[in-house]
Amino acid sequence: MDSISEKHIENSKFQIILILILVSLTFLLAIFAMGSGSSSNLDMLTTLKIILGLENSNDLQSAIIWELRFPRILMAIVGGAALATAGALMQGCLGNPLVSPLTLGVASGAALGAAFAIVLGFSIVSIPELAIVANAFLFSLIVVGIIIQLGNMRSISAESYILVGIAITFIAGAIVSTMQYFATDAQLSQLAHWSFGSLSRPTLIQTLWISVFLICLMPSAMKWSWDLNALSLGGDDFAISTGVDPSTTRRRILILSAFLTSIVIAFTGLIGFVGLAAPHMSRLIVGNDYRKLIPCSAVFGSLLTLFADTLGRTLFAPIIIPVGIMLSIIGGPFFMYLLLKNRGVNS
Amino acid sequence: MSKILEIKDLNFSWGNNHVLRDINVNISPNELVAVLGVNGAGKSTLLKCINRILKSDSGSINLLEQDVNGLSLIDLSKKVSYVPQSVRTSFSMDVFDVVLLGRRPHISWRISEDDRDKVSSTLRSLGLEDFSFRKFDQLSGGERQRVIIAKAIAQDSSLLLMDEPTSDLDLKNQLETMKSLRKIISNKDAEKSALIAIHDINIAARFADRILLLHNGKIFASGTPREVLTKDNIAEVFSVDAEIIDNAVFWPGGSDSLRVIIKDEITSK
Repeated sequence: MDSISEKHIENSKFQIILILILVSLTFLLAIFAMGSGSSSNLDMLTTLKIILGLENSNDLQSAIIWELRFPRILMAIVGGAALATAGALMQGCLGNPLVSPLTLGVASGAALGAAFAIVLGFSIVSIPELAIVANAFLFSLIVVGIIIQLGNMRSISAESYILVGIAITFIAGAIVSTMQYFATDAQLSQLAHWSFGSLSRPTLIQTLWISVFLICLMPSAMKWSWDLNALSLGGDDFAISTGVDPSTTRRRILILSAFLTSIVIAFTGLIGFVGLAAPHMSRLIVGNDYRKLIPCSAVFGSLLTLFADTLGRTLFAPIIIPVGIMLSIIGGPFFMYLLLKNRGVNS
Repeated sequence: MSKILEIKDLNFSWGNNHVLRDINVNISPNELVAVLGVNGAGKSTLLKCINRILKSDSGSINLLEQDVNGLSLIDLSKKVSYVPQSVRTSFSMDVFDVVLLGRRPHISWRISEDDRDKVSSTLRSLGLEDFSFRKFDQLSGGERQRVIIAKAIAQDSSLLLMDEPTSDLDLKNQLETMKSLRKIISNKDAEKSALIAIHDINIAARFADRILLLHNGKIFASGTPREVLTKDNIAEVFSVDAEIIDNAVFWPGGSDSLRVIIKDEITSK
């Protein structure tokens, strides 16, 4: 084999090892997180033994680990992976490093749905516990559906998708603000609390179902790796010259991204920045080859969300800071760093 | 082999602007055809119509006796590769991975040893082996252009479409790149052809088997460099006064010993 080819294989192997190290770190952090909190702090070895059933735990310990911490840790891992994957997919198919899963109006659609349920009491399902979740999920998909339909009416560019998304965000935001203006204090409080984003909302059963859905959906993103490489590197003309249909690919990827995002934020509320930051952090490790970037982003998304949530639970324990806020605190400075770095490149 | 490319009565408009009018072009295997014309003459549009980046208004484009509109984009990209004027990068990749994208029409997901070796040999043939693991966005304009040419060559298609492939290259690299292309096209075993939109008349004269001179969306002249690059044709199309020196210089490896010296613009006819 040619020496250049050998070097390429070596580089790929090294990057895969780095991804596996990230997986190991996430696993260790998950064990640490299972044993940490405002009460019943356990060291990692004891926690691991309890998880594996090698050590007897009392009912309280068991309940705290399996009923309180396990669902939110699983949600952090799966939700973080889904949001980061959606972010990587959207950045690639729209060819824009500043895009995140919430850019195309998914967040504003979800907020609109939640506001309809909380303020107007309107819901598409009759089960009260699922009113907000169902509304947020459906409205966020409706918003993305409208944007994609506008794209179908006329073959719009990647930039136009983003601009239409921003316009719809403003419209949905205005409707939510109008409802907030007429809302009671209790409704306002509930709406604000929803928008913080928290991993403690989904129940264990819900989290397991969400995990099954997301684990089924995420691998399908991998099949577009080559198409995303072409689209993200050189834009539409370049992609066509390698056999990629930009419009069809973009539409399918946006639909998948919308599903990945909606399923998570409908249950957790708004969780930002992980979808923006995790793909960029992953690019520093594996570059922009989507065959490695998608799995790396997913793992980084899990790690980042789990880290933010664990920090939020332990930093000011027994007060728990919602993961959405913690991620913004971590992600905000990183976002500014990106902007400054991009300014240097473009100037 | 029969014709690689057959274009019949091709028309294309941007709104009311009729860019291409009744274009007819045939390209045989092992032919390097240059397209010349002023800015906006329709050179890039012609290449984009062949590659289905743009959809023509009427006419037919057959590639290896198949209508390009009847081919899937994957099948089309196995038969034709394209070098755009410039590539606007949003996210960068290693040069090796950029050239590897040329193999994308041939692979489903997994990269084979042959694909990697094809990329390596292409990088070496264009003198790009030292750039293999540098980031694409950290290269100069000329280096990027050579990488995109390498990607098109690695695609291993029958027809290479190139839109001003030497515009960003220095003099030495212009010659080296064109010589590499000429060598690929002249290889009788491979039966490849190229259609190259270019501004440099002398590069076209030296390396092309035939020249298409586009003027106001129509083929103004077509033939060998000696037939097309006449003083009158150049004056009519480019509005410049040129001196044609025939057999004045020996071009090693060139297909025609013709040289065009541009003297001055023609301000009034």
